[in-house]
Amino acid sequence: MLFEQAMAQTRMAICLTDPNQDDQPIVFANRAFRELTGYANDEIVGHNCRFLQGPETDPAKVREIRAALESERVAVVELLNYRKDGTTFWNALHLGPIYDRDGRLLYYFGSQWDVTDVHTARAEQMHAKAMSREVSHRMKNMFSVIGGIVSVTGRSMGAQSVASRINERIQALGRAYEHTLDEAAFGTIEVGQAIRAVLRPYDPEDCRIVFKGNGVRTDPNIVSVVGLTLHELATNATKYGALSGDCGQVSVDWRHEGDRHGRQNLVIEWCERGGPPVEAPGGGAGGGTGFDIVETLLRVAKGTLDRNWDPGGLVARVVIPIGSKDQ
Amino acid sequence: MTQLAIQCADQPLLILVVEDEPMIALDLQLALEDEGVTAQVAASCDEAHALLERHAFDGAILDVNLGPGATCRKVAGTLRSRGIPFVLHTGDLDRQGEAMRELNAMIIPKPTPAPQVIRHILEQIDA
Repeated sequence: MLFEQAMAQTRMAICLTDPNQDDQPIVFANRAFRELTGYANDEIVGHNCRFLQGPETDPAKVREIRAALESERVAVVELLNYRKDGTTFWNALHLGPIYDRDGRLLYYFGSQWDVTDVHTARAEQMHAKAMSREVSHRMKNMFSVIGGIVSVTGRSMGAQSVASRINERIQALGRAYEHTLDEAAFGTIEVGQAIRAVLRPYDPEDCRIVFKGNGVRTDPNIVSVVGLTLHELATNATKYGALSGDCGQVSVDWRHEGDRHGRQNLVIEWCERGGPPVEAPGGGAGGGTGFDIVETLLRVAKGTLDRNWDPGGLVARVVIPIGSKDQ
Repeated sequence: MTQLAIQCADQPLLILVVEDEPMIALDLQLALEDEGVTAQVAASCDEAHALLERHAFDGAILDVNLGPGATCRKVAGTLRSRGIPFVLHTGDLDRQGEAMRELNAMIIPKPTPAPQVIRHILEQIDA
């Protein structure tokens, strides 16, 4: 019969059990079942299928199977099974009752699907998630400890204000990296998350800084440059610029942009409005040690920072090359 | 009687710092001392409870994770039952988040500079 041929040849492991016999033995198993489990036909037929269970099989899953059998329900149960050679596989067992024309229970069918791969992938994913949380927690703690060391050392050397400036930068860096770990698996991070995290403390009311950028992703390596640059811009805005008064605003935009040399850059535009009247700081192109550091960092990253003291507010443009994107 | 009242008013605030990382504990302690506040540091729940037996604290800063599997939960419970204000200082909002939200206390994420951390608890004591 066509049906029997199909049953025998399908790659889906199938067996039938007889609930009208004592201990509900298997009365039929196809080739795929024998191949999956490693048992010969005479070791299968006539036996209850519990021979597939072993020490690591979850008893709760076995109870689920029993409950489905008792209530004549169709069920899918995922459980750890054992082959004849003692190796294990994850079995997505699909089982259900088969009735005759008069509604009498004749058999139960069981189809076994080896989902070990799916299971392993899922377990690895969960493990990776747990690991990244652990690392993220440790990293935050580490930043906290570093902050402690800097401030305690600064105090002992009478350099508390220097220590607290160092600490502000360390904290900004810590915030910039906060989200990178969860996303490390992707190999890239969403720039916007880092930007928002860095700037969060400068906008406690959550209305002074407007974020315009999109979900552009980039290499995690540039996070420290982005973090420290924005920290300096925000510190400056808090002291002298749009965030120093009661009503000024800063808009921050970011995107990827190609330049005329065919390179991809991350471009961040910082635009202050509504602050006190703007004057360019005297004394060279700098503007405080904070920007000296930023400019040095940007030079190393082959990026640039242009600041225009527009009468309406400072407009700054940060350009950081990101090599990998188009290569 | 009057004298006692004056003495109480003059007494510096006493804060319990529960933190198993010595560097962070020291940083908080020094920041508190800058504000004229006395700090007692405990590295575990047991140590914290021993201190709570001996001193009348005005407030507390609690690190949430205190070594493998240990949290500040019990201390938080004791503080709550005695009406002593506290803040939670943690680097692990994800995992402990749910349990800690039940405590209904202010959560200060690590890393936050020590002066900011202590400002939060001092504000709560003032209120």
